[in-house]
Amino acid sequence: MARESVREKSRGEKMKGFSELFHDLDEMTKTGERIARMVNYFEQAPEKDASWASWFLAGNRIKGVVKTGELREWASQRSGWPVWLIDECYERVGDLAETLSLLIGGNKKADPISLSKVVEEILLPLAHADRSEKAEALKRAWDRLRPMDLLPFHKLLTGGFRIGVSRGNLCKALAEVGQVDPAIIAQRISGDWDPGIRKFEQIVGDERPEDSWCRPFPFCLASPLQEEPSSLGDLKDWWAEWKWDGIRCQFLNEENGGMLWTRGDESVGESFPELLNLSPHLPTGLAIDGEILAWGPEGMRPFSRLQKRLGRKEPGPSVLKKEPVRFMAYDLLKMEGVDMRTLPFLDRRKRLESMLAELPGGFPLQLSMPVESTDWEKLARQREESRDRGVEGLMLKRADSIYSSGRVKGDWYKWKVDPYVADMVVVGAQLGHGKRANIYSDYTLAVLDQQGELVTVAKAYSGLSDAELKEVDRYVRKNITGKFGPVRSVRPGIVFEIAFEGARSSGRHKSGVALRFPRIQRWRQDKKPDEVDTLENLLGYAQMGERVREDGTKTDDAGNLLLF
Amino acid sequence: MAFLSILGGGWIKPLVTHAHSDHARPGHGNYLVSESCLPLLKLRLGQDIRAEGIAYGKVCKIGDAHVSFHPAGHILGSSQIRVEVGGRVWVVSGDYKPQPDQSCEAFELVKCDVFVSECTFGLPVYRWQEEEIIHQQINAWWQENVEAGRPSMLFAYSLGKAQRVLRGLDSSIGPIFAHGAVHPFLPVYEKCGVQFPRVQKPKEGSGEWAGSMIVAPPAVEDAGWTRRFKGASRGFASGWMAVRGARRRRNLDRGFVLSDHADWSGLLEVIKGTGAECIKLTHGNGEPLARYLQERGVDASMLDGSGERTGEE
Repeated sequence: MARESVREKSRGEKMKGFSELFHDLDEMTKTGERIARMVNYFEQAPEKDASWASWFLAGNRIKGVVKTGELREWASQRSGWPVWLIDECYERVGDLAETLSLLIGGNKKADPISLSKVVEEILLPLAHADRSEKAEALKRAWDRLRPMDLLPFHKLLTGGFRIGVSRGNLCKALAEVGQVDPAIIAQRISGDWDPGIRKFEQIVGDERPEDSWCRPFPFCLASPLQEEPSSLGDLKDWWAEWKWDGIRCQFLNEENGGMLWTRGDESVGESFPELLNLSPHLPTGLAIDGEILAWGPEGMRPFSRLQKRLGRKEPGPSVLKKEPVRFMAYDLLKMEGVDMRTLPFLDRRKRLESMLAELPGGFPLQLSMPVESTDWEKLARQREESRDRGVEGLMLKRADSIYSSGRVKGDWYKWKVDPYVADMVVVGAQLGHGKRANIYSDYTLAVLDQQGELVTVAKAYSGLSDAELKEVDRYVRKNITGKFGPVRSVRPGIVFEIAFEGARSSGRHKSGVALRFPRIQRWRQDKKPDEVDTLENLLGYAQMGERVREDGTKTDDAGNLLLF
Repeated sequence: MAFLSILGGGWIKPLVTHAHSDHARPGHGNYLVSESCLPLLKLRLGQDIRAEGIAYGKVCKIGDAHVSFHPAGHILGSSQIRVEVGGRVWVVSGDYKPQPDQSCEAFELVKCDVFVSECTFGLPVYRWQEEEIIHQQINAWWQENVEAGRPSMLFAYSLGKAQRVLRGLDSSIGPIFAHGAVHPFLPVYEKCGVQFPRVQKPKEGSGEWAGSMIVAPPAVEDAGWTRRFKGASRGFASGWMAVRGARRRRNLDRGFVLSDHADWSGLLEVIKGTGAECIKLTHGNGEPLARYLQERGVDASMLDGSGERTGEE
């Protein structure tokens, strides 16, 4: 009843376009309101616009439309402000698309323009134009857009399209429009699809068999284990395996080939031809979940090695030889075209095992083995081996859990090893972006070297409460000692405990060490700048990691990691 | 601090541009302010302070200096202060805006040799729309909230911005309330001819707030005081709202870009208009503006000792 009346009302309202939707979503602070607003938009938007809006809101972008450097230059020509002034503005605003919108101003007399027109008449031609054509086309575009159209337009142009709408909430809204299961929607909007071709009806319409063809399922995600593991009950009801430090992927196989999908909905198969080459050996109608790992003859290699393969399409034979990879499989989602996700985990696992058992040896595809234990205490001790093994800790999967879409508490847990920590002092600060624009929230951190000099080792952004952020911001503003581009050097005085996942030696960093995922654990107000950690310690962590891997985690003849 | 002490012939005289707390500091004697600023200053610093009001444009002699006050268009009674010594003229702008504002005296352009200018919004991303448009936006938002059955909570600085906002409210939409910090200034404004709709104190209300407009200073934003207005949509009227990050950081539902300071083009226009050969910038991050002026051959620099600005008052 209630919803009907809302719909009645929305029909009576003046037609609202994508720009209005964008600004409303941007201003709304409550999830429920955002979903209702999207429903309202999708119900009244022209089909073509609704398709494009779904695609953009799902986080897709038209790549390579314009370079930000060019954009700044043309914005400078348009507005008459020098480029350095535009950069100053950007620093203050913390968002390039917004900065440009404020500077360009827009055409108050322009007519509203539909989203599909913006895409088809402006964005797509821009993506294919050469530099001078681009400048002209952009000028014409600016003439056609109202002030309120500029921000969404520049967001589409620069690619960063974040307005507080998660994919899950987008699915909920589309599901309500089409009265279909959000999980089906999630699958339909995953992966690579062309909103210029796919009709909105195909996104929100009733389920069809082709729905699942070679598109990934929504990934099942694990929650961090925050209580004692014994609170999970009997260990017999759980499955433990190592938490691999690679790229989470779904490997899909159909008659015309295989595909690899990351959690970010990127199709990365082209970068890993040795995995796609497995396709003829695997059954069709298959979807397995697992991890791509860097894996040499000596066994698993650190994540950083994998980066040599990422983003490199169709790698040559020498890279393939020097930087080999493997697919570590741990779940089975679809087999012979049948969705297995609602089977209990152990059943899925058994099917996965028997399927892989039929494969001849020597393939870069293997099964993630269980970490078996008699009780939680013993398992906890095994978990301590994680760092030596180059894994992030343990995964705990409830034996009877289905493969859910997203994070369902109680099914999957990640039981990571405790991070490394080190005390570091803030020596630089930079204004943040988005919600933290105009607050010094990005910090450069230093430790002491052997001469007792501070040496920069990391940057960290997150981990402080709003109140702490404010206080640190106040300190920074009072203690600025110099300016290097957007970075202010700061008189040492604030010490943070920094957590990080690992260290490795690095020739590109002045300090000689690079930290992985550094973040602020807490503010050590009890510590003075001369009490921070030493560079020697950090280098020690890095050498430790490298030594372990040189010693080699033990492998069997097939190159499988031996666990015990 | 933007009050001015003139040292000359043994005189030290605090000249105060306007009654905002970052300009009108307590602890001095014998303040000199504009006539319409005087009652506001006393409300802020106490009725027993020694202070004197002077008519706009009237010249008084302090030591060797000829001093006069001129409307700055920032809030009621706000002044630029002109100081002439030995034929050389300095103008200290205090806070100012050349844009029209129905709640205070209109800005007056004063020719000078040295212009000490504020630069709170010294970047071209800041440009204001006519105030009528903003009043319409506020009223439309209020109307939406009435239809949704929720109160509207609008944050605005208690002196100046709150009165400007109140003056533009359409009382046919619903009842209007203001925080206690806002009320004392209303009679002063009314005496100067500014008309307000009926503004009540929350304690005079029925306790049913749906559909009401409540104007309050941002200082109470997180305080218990706001809790009674359950389900209120929260807006903020300030020049800082031109940037989304500022609104999102405060977790506001709406930001209204209404400022009592000059925007970028206002700053440029006034700086040029004064004909000053030397520009000294204060109250803001003025480096970009200084550089921009320097590149155009103007002798502009930051005034020593002026810090980065975070509040807007």
